[in-house]
Amino acid sequence: MKFKHAMGAGVFVAAATMLTAVTAAILPRNPQLVSSAAPVPSGAKQVVVYTNPPARLIPEGQALFAEDCETCHGPQAQGSSRAPNLQGLGAATVDFWVSTGRMPLADPTQQAFEKPPVLNHTQQLAVSAYVASLAPGGPAIPSVNLGAANISRGESLFSEDCAACHTITGVGDALANNVYAPSLYPATPTQIAEAIRTGPGNMPRFGPGTLSNQEVGDIVRYVTYLQHPNDRGGLGLGHVGPVAEGFVAILIGLGSLVVVGYWIGGRAG
Amino acid sequence: MSSLEERAVQAAGFADERLGVAKFTRKSLNKIFPDHWSFMLGEIALYSFVVLIFTGIFLTFFFVPSTQQVIYHGSYAPLRGQRMSEAYASTLNISFNVRAGLVMRQIHHWAADVFIAAIVVHLLRIFFTGAFRRPRELNWMIGTLLLILAIVNGFIGYSLPDDLISGTGIRIAFSILLSIPVVGSYLAFFIFGSNFPGTSIIPRFYILHVLILPAIIAALIGAHLAIMWHQKHTQYPGPGRTERNVVGIPFWPAYALQAGGFFFITAAVLAALGGLVQINPIWLYGPYVPYKVSYAVQPDWYMGWLDGALRLMPSWETVFGPTIGGHMIPNVFFPAVLLPGITFGLIFAWPWIERAFTRDRSEHNLCDRPRERPIRTSVGVGVVVFYVVLFLASATDVLANTFETSLNLVLWTLRILLFVLPILSGFVTYLLVKEIEHLPAVGTPKAGVEIRRTIEGNFELSGLGREAAGEKAAELPEEVAYHQRTTNGHAEIYDAPELGLGERAVPVEGGLS
Repeated sequence: MKFKHAMGAGVFVAAATMLTAVTAAILPRNPQLVSSAAPVPSGAKQVVVYTNPPARLIPEGQALFAEDCETCHGPQAQGSSRAPNLQGLGAATVDFWVSTGRMPLADPTQQAFEKPPVLNHTQQLAVSAYVASLAPGGPAIPSVNLGAANISRGESLFSEDCAACHTITGVGDALANNVYAPSLYPATPTQIAEAIRTGPGNMPRFGPGTLSNQEVGDIVRYVTYLQHPNDRGGLGLGHVGPVAEGFVAILIGLGSLVVVGYWIGGRAG
Repeated sequence: MSSLEERAVQAAGFADERLGVAKFTRKSLNKIFPDHWSFMLGEIALYSFVVLIFTGIFLTFFFVPSTQQVIYHGSYAPLRGQRMSEAYASTLNISFNVRAGLVMRQIHHWAADVFIAAIVVHLLRIFFTGAFRRPRELNWMIGTLLLILAIVNGFIGYSLPDDLISGTGIRIAFSILLSIPVVGSYLAFFIFGSNFPGTSIIPRFYILHVLILPAIIAALIGAHLAIMWHQKHTQYPGPGRTERNVVGIPFWPAYALQAGGFFFITAAVLAALGGLVQINPIWLYGPYVPYKVSYAVQPDWYMGWLDGALRLMPSWETVFGPTIGGHMIPNVFFPAVLLPGITFGLIFAWPWIERAFTRDRSEHNLCDRPRERPIRTSVGVGVVVFYVVLFLASATDVLANTFETSLNLVLWTLRILLFVLPILSGFVTYLLVKEIEHLPAVGTPKAGVEIRRTIEGNFELSGLGREAAGEKAAELPEEVAYHQRTTNGHAEIYDAPELGLGERAVPVEGGLS
């Protein structure tokens, strides 16, 4: 009997240990985020797919590059005293800068700001294709399948990795020394993913070792949500927080009450 | 069976015979209150406080003051499955699932912002009209205490939801406590029960916010009003108004109805704000996690001047390394502990500070007009501008972003303006006040003019202006003079040298019309 008990206990312990090991191997680090972090089964649609623009656009891209970029970046995009080397940065880098209108740049001493793009969509792809063809390396242009992304996981990653500069609502803000974190509201999903993967300007680059493709997709999902958030509670005050609220409280709240007081109360004399 | 009226009279007689309430009631109902719009600023604060109590009670039914970590399974998808404190989860629940929960939360928050704004404006009115002078120094101090408690309770309430932004605020508060030399770390650990963040602070803040501080505030408001009732309200100088009488409207019915109506208007404005304008959308901020931070978050407006002072403070710690008895004084101490200490210390002491200069120890029941006191008025304007600059400094990032300029430029501009603007504005105020000080026409009420058409068809201006009325009034005895000037005339005369002794209400015959 005792032996049987011991054996039963041993089998139980072994089974439990194996089960724990298997579970630990299968389950991701954060148990509450099982669904999102589980490995994407092969065949299922990937959250982020990277595609290089078609090679047939390279000649057009070369011509556009010579026209709009070469003056600073050099004929082979090798860089100059005015602008960095673009070789090996990949199509995503170029696509981000030209599709957000930041390039071509008017004033190289200022932080490039978002403006209507000079190049149309095909031209953007063409320039990207040309630069990508010059040297290997760097990410291709990402496209994000928002349906496969996890918005809650995205919120958690956004507040961890992005809010410290772009603010928690994504509205953007001024950082030190004339550097600013732009608003994320005009960004497209592809541009958000490109920015995460390539780190434009002062922004850090989040490579595959820092954020998985799934995590990039999750963040993109949450940022697209922030562009049209659940704004219940009435008129949103631009998502800049208590500054706007204070002005409303003092000028509209107290202000209107003082006016009413002036109306119903006695006046001078 | 007797009629309803007879029974009411019987009941009143019963109460009067045993409690002697008739005299008190009659006196109270006939109590005279000066009627001026600027005397209603404190009322806004009072009525906001009432709104705060009612909306606050509603919120306590649904808020869970606990830092216990739970997995959120509520209806707000972008946070579903995340770990968060029960405090934050229950605030999400109030905002999304409790019927009328969000509007109650928003009314509560707007009411808090307006409550403190009204206290500040009320304080400024008292200051600029000299209504803090003898015999009202005590009430001035109680009012200052109420302002401090309101700010503290506002900050604590703002912290309760345990969202990312308010959590950052608590973190700053912990650091400010730590910055107090010698006792700082003991004090911080005593209040938080452990190192930051710990698990005690939300429940402790909760009981302070919903019971202890509101009870103290309510008691002090009671004392504030009782003293005002006993000392009688100040009034502006005018025909028939002296240091020894009060000219105004009787408590019942005129003042009570005006005040009651104003309560409902205040509640309506706060409810409209709560229903129409979003405030503190905590669901967009996410739960507080100590290693996460959002860039450049601001506190609610009434803490803005402290936040601004923290931002403007240069790093003395690294330059001078100030110490006290071998203990280093951290940089945070100067803007966050010393500045509010000096601020409220000066406010408390102001009646005595001013007396030291004016040597004026007499009683004052007539308000000053700000232009009659150039020095007080210009000092007050300078000080107000100082705090306005500090307040703007809490939004350095928003200003830099809005005007697309450098954050450092904004910071340095405000550092300079903090000292230049108060002096400049005080000086300009002094000059302006000196200019208008002796102008008789300034502030004189506009004269009512009556245009009549004569029987011949011409137009004729009839002299019903205030000057004409004033001349006529001056010839008449005091009470009647007042009756001449208003439609609802009462005058209350005190005939004893000490305030409040031997007062009697003297309703002017035929004064009510």
